[in-house]
Amino acid sequence: MGGDCILCGKCLEVCPLLAATGREELGPRAKADLCALLAGDDSLLRGEDAARLAGLCLGCGRCRKVCSQGVDVPGLVAALRGAHPDFRGWLWKTWLTHARELWAAGSTAARLIPGRWRPEKLGPLLKMLAGLKGGPGLDPFLTPTTFPDTHRGSKVLFFAGCTATHVQRRWLAAALELLDGLGVEVLPGDFGCCGGGLKAAGFAAEAGDMAARNFEVWRAAGRPGVVTLCASCLSGLAAAGEMLSGDEADAWAGALTPLSTLVRSVSFRLSDDAPERVGYHRPCHADAGDSDFLLLREALGERLVAATDKECCGFGGVMRLARPGLGDQVNGRCWERLGVAATVLTGCSACAAQLTATAPDGVRVGHWLEAVG
Amino acid sequence: MTGYAASLTPAHEAFLNDLFPGDGCVLTREGMNAFATDASQERAMPWAVVRPESREQVAELLRWAHGERMPIYGRARGTGRVGNAVPSLGGVVVSMLRMAGEPVVDADDFVAVVRPGVVTADLQAACAAKGLFYPPDPASVRISTIGGNVATCAGGLRAVKYGVTRDWVLGLETVLPGGRVLRSGGRSHKDVVGLDLTRLMVGSNGRLGLITEIIVKLIPLPETSASVLVGFADLRAALDGARAVFRAGVLPAACEFMDRVTLEAVRLGGEAIPLAASAQAALLFKLDGTQEGVDAEVRHLVKALGPLDPVSVEVGRGEDEGAVWTVRRGISPAAFRIAPDKLAEDISVPRGRVAEAVERAHEIGRGRGLIVLCFGHLGDGNIHVNVMYDGSAAGEAAAAAGAKDEIFRLAVALGGTISGEHGTGLTKASFVAEQLGRDAMGLMDDVRRVFDPRGIMNPGKGW
Repeated sequence: MGGDCILCGKCLEVCPLLAATGREELGPRAKADLCALLAGDDSLLRGEDAARLAGLCLGCGRCRKVCSQGVDVPGLVAALRGAHPDFRGWLWKTWLTHARELWAAGSTAARLIPGRWRPEKLGPLLKMLAGLKGGPGLDPFLTPTTFPDTHRGSKVLFFAGCTATHVQRRWLAAALELLDGLGVEVLPGDFGCCGGGLKAAGFAAEAGDMAARNFEVWRAAGRPGVVTLCASCLSGLAAAGEMLSGDEADAWAGALTPLSTLVRSVSFRLSDDAPERVGYHRPCHADAGDSDFLLLREALGERLVAATDKECCGFGGVMRLARPGLGDQVNGRCWERLGVAATVLTGCSACAAQLTATAPDGVRVGHWLEAVG
Repeated sequence: MTGYAASLTPAHEAFLNDLFPGDGCVLTREGMNAFATDASQERAMPWAVVRPESREQVAELLRWAHGERMPIYGRARGTGRVGNAVPSLGGVVVSMLRMAGEPVVDADDFVAVVRPGVVTADLQAACAAKGLFYPPDPASVRISTIGGNVATCAGGLRAVKYGVTRDWVLGLETVLPGGRVLRSGGRSHKDVVGLDLTRLMVGSNGRLGLITEIIVKLIPLPETSASVLVGFADLRAALDGARAVFRAGVLPAACEFMDRVTLEAVRLGGEAIPLAASAQAALLFKLDGTQEGVDAEVRHLVKALGPLDPVSVEVGRGEDEGAVWTVRRGISPAAFRIAPDKLAEDISVPRGRVAEAVERAHEIGRGRGLIVLCFGHLGDGNIHVNVMYDGSAAGEAAAAAGAKDEIFRLAVALGGTISGEHGTGLTKASFVAEQLGRDAMGLMDDVRRVFDPRGIMNPGKGW
């Protein structure tokens, strides 16, 4: 994955961590090079230290998309994390694999963290975990008026994801209402976690188990379309498709559908008290066309006053735990870009949690589904 | 060269940690590894890396380095192709990425004042937001910085009409060894007083000082552009075609050519390119200006090419303009379909000798059993010569190196240069004297010593 890096530097354009810190050693090229040297057993580098440095990655995947050599830096980082498991990775794993137990009671997840890790260093994380319970959320301001017949009668599986299943039940309700309005029949299916966060944290085997279970659910339902409400879940599910082969891999890739692509054909009415200045945060894992953005641009018109592009929310999965300060620098640039927006919408569970926890005073954040009702 | 500091002493470390607190000073090997190399893939580990945020820090650093005779290597994004940023003799790498911030674009003076760590595409975007244009566009424009572009005098596709970085720098603030701050030039678009120290600094590759502020000249942003991809039956017809276009009074913003081997490599990729399958050579023009002006120039250009019987002519406007550039963008990855390794050189020759240079470069390859791809900026006579080889095959690497030497000699013999834009750094350092000659080399060394008497600035590199 990293042996073919030619050090051209094309990835330097897109790395939000490099942009926020001005530290070249945190850029994708530096990580690919460190990984290549570690693989070659460069005795001048201290393996643990190098691995720790190479592990400081937000996992956004932008560098992978622009690399002419197909180098997968987040993949290399995940492999390093897998080879050097530690407390942070353990926590992440615990968080995701036991989502049901942890999140049923909302912010009780925070209690799992041993006392010595609780102080201010992990403050933002704890605040974020608490934010997962939902916070005040948004008052709906987009009311569906007409539903087209385009999708009426079709049958799909709905992949809600951990956050909507265990914490943000209102997202789930709003999504199911929209699908109902569209006349789409939601088939029963008990999906697990997408495995994306686990894989990035270095737990490839566990992520593989999650994926295998999800594939079984999909096969049992007759391999229908799979609709998702979270950009990172969609990305995690798509990446899991590499475990499949041939026609089934193609069918899986073709089945994955962002909810917003179906909802774009719905007409909305803006309520009288709809916010005047809405911002949109583009998740790092947004689908290629960023269908959430297209939906909101059409529904909100000129009220959509700001949108991020290169900026990451700074969540960064396990890096959030390892070096929260770095994520905060990245987060700061994101809020700079969102500027004057008083309400910020996004389409990713992790981004929504991170932005809710870090929002400036007076700014409200939510999944775009919270705006619908 | 002798007498440099031999290593970083504890006192040196204490000084650097004090001047660059927090994460501004890097001393661990794993942290410094990123600064050991650049896009050339040459490699040497520095002794320390520092990240100045102010001119005052740079001045204090160079005062200290001069006293300690500590080698200093300026660096921004490390995207250069010849190893100029590699700390080949050990010493301190100075990362300029935190000398950044929003450029100040002045729409009355038609200048922008910018710090060296700003990415050039970001500078261009800031200018474009005010309807202004900073034209130089090296291929790395989205990843390299204006400071690196100025230090290396970066070129690019648009040089045929707009010139290179040197032609757009009006003024500089440069910190010299010993800590003096030199301000040369300014915001005036004309200035004939004294020797032109600004132009001397541009392209000096960090050998004279560290640039801390840059004033560039701007012009109005062109209203629109169009591009034309033209296929020809052979290379001669293509080069005659370019001549005909210039003689017809059309000055394109870019004039790229691709030879037969290059086109074959791109076609192997299977991507649709808007070019006749029979084309054995191609020209790619970009025209910019007002809508009326561009329309007229496209007409003149197509008419001027008529007598050369092009096998295909594809005009791209608006959203379709990008499609005609697919072929050009596809070259670098395509080259590796020919062979797994390449030596990529960027000789430049007088425009009238391009055909001869390309044909002889092919012959040089054939003579050594290697394939040579030629493409590049025809308008500047700047030819990217890629010698393709398989490093794992016995003798091929040596054959490629031999071909490279011959190609360099060819460029000089034709009245050209061994590098039109990449520079010489480490990878071509040994050839510089052959091109420049003893007298010029001696004078350049004398000039360098005036600025840097102890030779601490980016030592070990060619000019």
